[in-house]
Parts: sequence; structure tokens; C-alpha cells
Amino acid sequence: MIERLMENAAQFLLLLVLSPLVTGVIRTLKARLQTRRGPGILQPYRDLRKLFSKGIVIPETASWIFTATPWVVFFSTILAGLMIPMVAAEAPLGLFGGVLAVIYLLGLGRFFLALSGMDSGSSFGGLGSSREMTISALAEPAMMLAIFTVAIGAGSTGLTEIAGAAIGIAGAAIGQNWRFLAPSQMFAFAALSLVLIAETGRIPVDNPDTHLELTMIHEAMILEYSGPYLALLEWAASIKQLVLMTLLINCFWPFGLQPTWFGFGAVEGICWLLAKLLLLSCAIVLLETVNAKMRLFRVPEMLAVAFTLGSLALISTFLF
Amino acid sequence: MLMMPVLDLQFGERIVTLMAALVLVLQIAMVSQRWIVLHIRIFAVQSLFLAMIAATIAWYNHAPHIYIAAVLTLVVKVILVPILFERLVTRMEIHEEIEPIVNVPLSVLIAGGLTLVGYVVAESFYRPDAPGVGHNALAVAISLFLIGFFTMINRRKALTQVLALLSLENGLFLAAISLTYGMPLIVELGILFDVLVAAMVLGILVYRIRETFESMDVSRLRRLRG
Repeated sequence: MIERLMENAAQFLLLLVLSPLVTGVIRTLKARLQTRRGPGILQPYRDLRKLFSKGIVIPETASWIFTATPWVVFFSTILAGLMIPMVAAEAPLGLFGGVLAVIYLLGLGRFFLALSGMDSGSSFGGLGSSREMTISALAEPAMMLAIFTVAIGAGSTGLTEIAGAAIGIAGAAIGQNWRFLAPSQMFAFAALSLVLIAETGRIPVDNPDTHLELTMIHEAMILEYSGPYLALLEWAASIKQLVLMTLLINCFWPFGLQPTWFGFGAVEGICWLLAKLLLLSCAIVLLETVNAKMRLFRVPEMLAVAFTLGSLALISTFLF
Repeated sequence: MLMMPVLDLQFGERIVTLMAALVLVLQIAMVSQRWIVLHIRIFAVQSLFLAMIAATIAWYNHAPHIYIAAVLTLVVKVILVPILFERLVTRMEIHEEIEPIVNVPLSVLIAGGLTLVGYVVAESFYRPDAPGVGHNALAVAISLFLIGFFTMINRRKALTQVLALLSLENGLFLAAISLTYGMPLIVELGILFDVLVAAMVLGILVYRIRETFESMDVSRLRRLRG
């Protein structure tokens, strides 16, 4: 019982501390690639500290949803983060639902975010909400198909089983007969990567740095927030990014995951996690730099590709 | 000791299957691509994977003549044809996007459906005891063929149709090396030079169509012009 609590506490802290760092690293790497100096990798922490010390302005038209949303978004994201294997294959909170619970916890956060965007009474908020919902309604089927493919490969929707199947918890050899080399896993990985770009609001779909009314999606929804509420939402957004990135790397490349959180293994596990996250960040940065932002009506095309790849992945697990 | 070659062969088969899946992913990416230069580059990468598949089959089955096919694919399809086409694109100053007849999301879904057809067809050729790379690579090959054919129908401009024809030919190549470990070398050579000559001739033809009709839209060829 105590061990469980300690595991939860450790992963909770890791999520809180690591997520602004990932955002900062991505920003700095991107700046360097574009031959700018960039604000330094610690800037997101400074931003959060600054926002937490500021006052709050609440629109007159806003209802309780407006003030509840930051908390709901923040804690549902944290809860989802506690249910994925980060350092140890066994997730601290793997009691129920597995990967489906993770996805729909993130969905709950998104639902409240969209509500609050409309609740603020600003026309930009409603615009952002409708765009966000359009994109996520198209991204979700592709994501579910890809996730189910992985789940069928592992024989369970539990993330502990999915990640654990590959590192020898159940006595299986490393890589479980090269499971991740199967074509269905390849398709699923391609689909999930495309969905990751759409869900984290990265450049071909949404630009996280812009406040231009024609293009912003996520920023439009949180436009009316200020001070600590804005800090919570920004933090939740970077935690969500970390959770989705970890989900991708630990489903498909679970190397270096430890059986439990305790002992010297945890240090090794954290090192592996950081290395893999850095690699994925480099890929994201490269993709963001060589691509221009897509027009909004082109986003469904990209997600149609993701959907097709996802369904091919699912079908091909039965064909082979 | 006796087990080693068998294990190796299985591992090689897995690698080939994985790369075949990548080739298929790239084919679907090609269907959804709107920029002609990117389209040409995706074709080059696809051909690179194809050459790698050929090299892997040659390595694990100790069939040196497939290496020659791999090298020829590399030279012709990864280097020569893309360079030829990119120069054509710069010379003709193509700036507009590819406009398919069926819209892109639907095209991609149709491509997915055609892949299924490919698998169903390949299933009937499958014999568990027969030698060969297995039905996966064959299924991918048939899918490439079908999707390439569909892309040809789906495009209006001559240059993109030629690119679709070439990816269709990639499917044929994959089918040949995965089923029979390569055709006789002379046939292989013939096909590759055929592709090269076809690409050059079609390139010139496309240029002429463009010069005469001021567009590459092949539907305009139906009109009489004195």
C-alpha cells in the first residue's frame, strides 16, 4: 500500500517537473535549428512562476464552468499521466480501464476546455472550441484503431501488459519475437504519430506559438484565461504532450522500462525515458521546421491518412 | 548449428515484410500528396526501400544475381528518374498543386480498400510449405499495383500519371522478387531500361503536351487542334 502511494507520488512529481522541460527543450531545439538563440530550456518554468503570481480576470458572462475548467483539465491530465508506464512497466494507477481510460480522461479535459471556450462569451473562444472538436472527432477513431492494434498484439488493453509484454515481465523474451517488427505495428505507429501531431497541437495542424485569429486552435480556447488559471492550463497542455509522447514511445519501444519503480532500476529507467523523449522531440522539431502550417481544411486529409493506416493496422493483425 | 540458417531466413523474412509495409505506407502517402516535388521524392524513397528489400532477399537466400537488380533499381529509380523529373518540374515551372478527381480523404480510403483487395487476392496464392517470401510481400505488391492503377485514373495531369505508372511498376518488381527471387537477369535489365526509356520518352511527351496545349491536363487532348 505504502509502495503504491510512493510510486504514485514519484510519477506525479516526474510529470509535474518533466513536462515544462520537454516543452522547453522542443522550443530551444527548434530555435537552434532555425538559427535563433531561443529563450533557454528553463523558460516554461519561469513562465509558470510568473503566471502563478499574477491576478485573475474573469469575464462577466462566464459561469462556474469557466473557473472549474482549469482544475478539471489539470487533474484529468495528471490522472491520465499516472495510468501510463513511464519508468516502470507497471503503471502506478493501473487499477481500471487501461489505455481506454487514459484516452477518455484526456477526452474529458478536452470537453471541458471546449465548453469553457464557449462559456467565456468571446467569439474567438467558440471558434477555437469548434475547431478543436472537429479535429479531435477525426483524430479519435484513428487513435482508437491504432491503440486496439497494439492491444491485440499484447492480448490486453492494460498498458502494463502492453509495455510489459515486450520487456520480459511475463517471462517472455525481450521484444517478444520481434513483435514490434510486424507490419501491423508499423502501420499503427505511423497512424499514432500522425494523431500525436494533431492532438498535441504541433505545427502542421496547430501552431502553439501563435495568436493569429485565422490559425489558432488551442490558444483561441484559452484566450480569456489569465494568471494562475492560465498557468494551470498551460501546464496541463505540456503534461498532456508528455503523456502522449510517453504513450507512443512506451507502446512501441518499451526498451529500458523497469519492472518496478524501486531500487537502482528507477534511475536507469528515468535515463532511458529521457533519452527516448529527446529522440522523439528531435523528430518533432525536424517535422515542425520543414513543414508549414496546413490550412484548416487540409487537416481532415492528414487525419484520413491516419485513419486508413489505423484500419489497415487493425485488419492486418488478423490477416497475418 | 543446423538451426541458424532457418532462424536467419525467418529474421530476413521479417525484415522484408517490415520494409514492404513501409513501401505500402509510402504508397498511401503518395496518394495523399499534393506537391509534385514531394511526390517525386516519396517515389525515390519508396524505390530505395524496394532496392533494400531486393538486397535483403539476396543476402538471406544467397542469390547474388538479385544484388544486380538491387543496384540497378538504386541507380535508375532512386537517382536517375527522380533527377530527370525534378529537372522537368523546374523547367516547366509547375507551381500549382495536384488536383485529384476524387477528393483526397476519399482517395486515401479507396487506397485502403484496394489494399484489402490485394490481401484477399494474395491469400489464394499462399502455400505454407512453398518457398518464397510469403504472402505478405505479395499482398503488398498487388496492393501497390492496384493503388498505382487507381492513382493513374485519379489524376488529370500527365506528369503525375507517369509517376503513378512508375509506382505501379514498383509493385510488379516487388511481386517478381518476392515470388521467384527475381526474374532472369536479362529480363530484369530489360525492364529497368524500359522504365528509364519510358520515363525519358514520357518526360519529353509531357513537355510537348504542355507546349502544344499550354496545360498538362490530358482531358484536353480530346480536342482537335489544327
